[in-house]
Amino acid sequence: MTAALTAGLIGVLLAGAILYLVRRDHLHGTHALWWFAVAGAILVLGIFPPVIDWLGRLTGISYPPVLPIIIGIGMILIRLLKIDVDRSRSERQMRRLTQKLAILEEELREARGGNEGKSASARKDAENM
Amino acid sequence: MQRSKAESESLLAIIPARNEAPTVADVVRGVVASLGCEVVVISDASTDGTAHAARVAGAVVIELPCRLGAWGATQTGMRYALRHGFRTGVTLDADGQHHPSELPALLDAHRTHGANVVIGTCAERLSAAKRIAAGYFQAITGIGVRDFTSGLRVYDRRALRALASREASLLDYQDLGVLMLLRKRGLSVLEVHTAMSPRRTGGSRVFSSWPMVVRYMLHTTVLSFAQIGARRRRAAGIGAAT
Repeated sequence: MTAALTAGLIGVLLAGAILYLVRRDHLHGTHALWWFAVAGAILVLGIFPPVIDWLGRLTGISYPPVLPIIIGIGMILIRLLKIDVDRSRSERQMRRLTQKLAILEEELREARGGNEGKSASARKDAENM
Repeated sequence: MQRSKAESESLLAIIPARNEAPTVADVVRGVVASLGCEVVVISDASTDGTAHAARVAGAVVIELPCRLGAWGATQTGMRYALRHGFRTGVTLDADGQHHPSELPALLDAHRTHGANVVIGTCAERLSAAKRIAAGYFQAITGIGVRDFTSGLRVYDRRALRALASREASLLDYQDLGVLMLLRKRGLSVLEVHTAMSPRRTGGSRVFSSWPMVVRYMLHTTVLSFAQIGARRRRAAGIGAAT
């Protein structure tokens, strides 16, 4: 088995897995696009290894095989950063929604009437009537 | 001093509470007795009878379905205050460490000094660790509030609006992050001396154990550095009165 075949196989499997996940609706929009690009890059580099040597010459790296590893790690870091940014955004949204839900629940309780949910002053007024 | 009716109508007491059933009712009754204003208790996903006890004592109770922490609960109260047109918000802890009888003095200081935020500070109760932390934070942020974690505070409507914003939703405590946001918005903060009792139940949420302190200090340091540049705009806005 040649290295090109191994890498090509990994690329095809990854692309297949991503396509499957997108079709099953587990990955949406930009995420799917990103992973398709990753699968495509692996496929190209696997089937045409000279691309790596050419890139190595282009960037001045004397040992070209580390290039895909460096690029890969860089991409993973960017991806992780993006995940944390997204997580912070959803955490903010989740907190605000939780607050709003709780406030609306209390207002609903009050609107439904009964003295149960009313404030001290409102209840006193109700008692005086 | 007797508060006018209009004044207490525009005032809301905000009490965040997590599993404080033994003390919350007394705090609510104390606030109603000393201020005669509406009280909202935000139960932070309490698993005991906190919500029921507060409701029986006469408070409006907002029950968070999942735990948001002390600041998340306090911010809920601020959003409630804005939705219902209150002009001033007073926050205090549900564990009984803040005396409701101190509130009128705090409100008087708020009115006479015209500060957007008034913080009730108990200097005698500050531990050595907290004093060192306060000095350190003053050095890196320029904010010289001694009891920066005090939950006893008065906020005017501008401050409430700043703190109810999305920007404040990722804060975890009612502390330096809040103060830095206030400074960024050009709001003034005043520290006023008040008496407090030791907590009846539990300890400080922040200064509970060394790993927690380290985590808190690192977290707040990062937050402080993220705020560099906002410092120069209004360094004179924060002062103290005793």
